Amino acid sequence: MTAGGEFSPKIVAFLCNWCSYAGADLAGISRIQYPPSIRVIRVPCSGRVDPFYILKALQSGADGVLISGCHPGDCHYLTGNYVARRRFAVLNDLLGFAGIDPGRVSFSWVSAAEGERFAEVVREVTEKVRLLGPNRKLLKEEVA
Amino acid sequence: MSREDQLRRRAKELLTKEGVVMVIGYRAGKRPGTATPAFVTRPEDADVLVFDDRCGTNLAAYLPRVKHRGKIAIVAKGCDSRSVVALLKEKQVDRGGLVILGVGCDGVKEQGRLSDSCTTCIHPNPVICDEMIGEKVAERTPAPDPLDDFERLSPDERWQALMTDVSRCIRCYACRQVCPNCYCPTCFVDASSPQWVGKTTAGSDNMMFHLMRAMHMAGRCVECGSCSRGCPMGIDLMKFNRRVAKVVKERFGAVAGLNPEELPALAAFDPSDKQEFIR
Ligand code: SF4
Ligand code: SF4
Ligand code: SF4
Repeated sequence: MTAGGEFSPKIVAFLCNWCSYAGADLAGISRIQYPPSIRVIRVPCSGRVDPFYILKALQSGADGVLISGCHPGDCHYLTGNYVARRRFAVLNDLLGFAGIDPGRVSFSWVSAAEGERFAEVVREVTEKVRLLGPNRKLLKEEVA
Repeated sequence: MSREDQLRRRAKELLTKEGVVMVIGYRAGKRPGTATPAFVTRPEDADVLVFDDRCGTNLAAYLPRVKHRGKIAIVAKGCDSRSVVALLKEKQVDRGGLVILGVGCDGVKEQGRLSDSCTTCIHPNPVICDEMIGEKVAERTPAPDPLDDFERLSPDERWQALMTDVSRCIRCYACRQVCPNCYCPTCFVDASSPQWVGKTTAGSDNMMFHLMRAMHMAGRCVECGSCSRGCPMGIDLMKFNRRVAKVVKERFGAVAGLNPEELPALAAFDPSDKQEFIR
């Protein structure tokens, strides 16, 4: 997607209900500015994020994906994010191995109290994806 | 007594006196120089059993499908035995319902050459077994990892090379059918509601399949090479398998199929796992 000739990326953000989604909410009610690049999908836990969701987003036309959950030790379900972290580590490695720039997919921990941090993460991720340009690898042309 | 004679004699004994209902092993294939899985249920059929460098199929793949019949004996090389361990970990088979007939393995031949997966084999002898058929073989020094050269390519070159390879995939799922880890009653590729993977063989759908298959193998694949050998299109599935095994070992210190008491690496965690890639 481009606005005024400049590429503005579409980023799908999977946010866990208990921390990062609430962090995004706090950023909103605190009127903290961040780029309107993300499309939020609320999930119960970062542990709920199947790697397939991430690849599917890229295949369906997202330029980037952000996955954010509770900080280690703060998971509402105690260990969901620890298990997710292993899965994400392998996926992150596999994407790099396959030549998909790992900058397309970002991971963060943001708590419900970290509205400013959430905005900061979105700024960073948006800039990273903007520099990479539109996603072509994995994109399925018919659905783009 | 030759190893083959010993195997046949034990198979007969197991079927007649020791309550085993099926011996899973190998028999000569129809084409010369090939062997194929054999499912021996009658003692008089035990003489079809063979074991040599034609016997590549990972026999552990059959265990989840036949375990309901009763006590099963299985011929297991190093990699098959590791897959048995992987299945034990995942509670797909019951140790008490198994007799593991271990065989040392000098590597499997494919068209006269040592199979790619066997060049880097680190466990040619069974890691778990009830009895050895024949002697253990000497440990070998694994060849350099064939991934090393590939990993030196640029990201775009790697993408292009993998895309070119997987674009030939006809999605027959032979690679899944032969894999001991692929016992899911409904595979993600067959799910239709929602439909996880597109059914086309367009590059993008094929790559989705291969990346997700690789994810499902992380911490579980024993690098037996059955999938690569079974692929009618000659797609190099071992590239993906080797990479996920490597990252699981480097990051979590885990090697699949060695310790039945340990959880599979991706079902476990350590609070101090590295997280340098997470903001
Ligand atoms: S066996 Fe080969 S062609 Fe068949 S689905 Fe697997 S990779 Fe594709
Ligand atoms: S590819 Fe994955 S979902 Fe399909 S059978 Fe194998 S492990 Fe199960
Ligand atoms: S993925 Fe291939 S190499 Fe790994 S255990 Fe399954 S059949 Fe063997």
